[in-house]
Amino acid sequence: MNHDAAKVQKPAIGHLVWWFLFAQGGVLAAILLPVHILVQGILGPLGIVPVVDRHYDTWVRVLGNPIVKLYLLVLIAFPFFHFAHRLRYLFVDLGFPAARSLPAQVIFYGGAIVVTLITVWILLTTVPISFG
Amino acid sequence: MARGWWLRQRHYFLYIVREFTALPLALWLLWLLFEIHRAAAGPKGFYASSSPAFIAFSVICLGFALYHSITFLSLAGAIIHIKGVSARMVVLSQFALWFVASLVIAAALIGFAR
Repeated sequence: MNHDAAKVQKPAIGHLVWWFLFAQGGVLAAILLPVHILVQGILGPLGIVPVVDRHYDTWVRVLGNPIVKLYLLVLIAFPFFHFAHRLRYLFVDLGFPAARSLPAQVIFYGGAIVVTLITVWILLTTVPISFG
Repeated sequence: MARGWWLRQRHYFLYIVREFTALPLALWLLWLLFEIHRAAAGPKGFYASSSPAFIAFSVICLGFALYHSITFLSLAGAIIHIKGVSARMVVLSQFALWFVASLVIAAALIGFAR
């Protein structure tokens, strides 16, 4: 009986982790992304407002801040777990049931893990941590 | 299921658009990662993206980002249940949070440019 319960619970915990990442990534993308795109992708390049990433000095100064590094990791990494899930189901919905398979899950969620690792690497190697 | 099922009804089409928003948003975040990485090139090698193509790309991404935000935050009313708080208030609080966070982030992005 207990053995059966353990069997049922095991995959459910996995689901919970992926579901949590999917939901958190979705919330973070919804709340944080539009303003970044508007300011850094449109208003800054058009020269309408000064933006921190337009000049080397100001950009490097904020990128060295450990809190900014942590924020950027959250901003970039979490949404990719959301995107992975959505794009996998987009393939399913567009008529590619193979996107449900285990190899497809490894590719999509593995891709999100790879992006997370690359983000950590870039944040740690681009500008050294400084508290100034 | 026939491949073109989602083209038959506006509702189905918008559902597919909602799933598709992940692609432009992912591409924009990869650009941001690239912009961070460019700081490694030093003061001489660094440049900020300003081409018309990049701005057009951002405009398209912003459209999808807003669609994701509006559809995703509207779902909160169906997911979060708090006793005595209506679903409408839950959704309103999510949109208020989005608005305040946007103001704070915009102020930081512009304020630290000096």
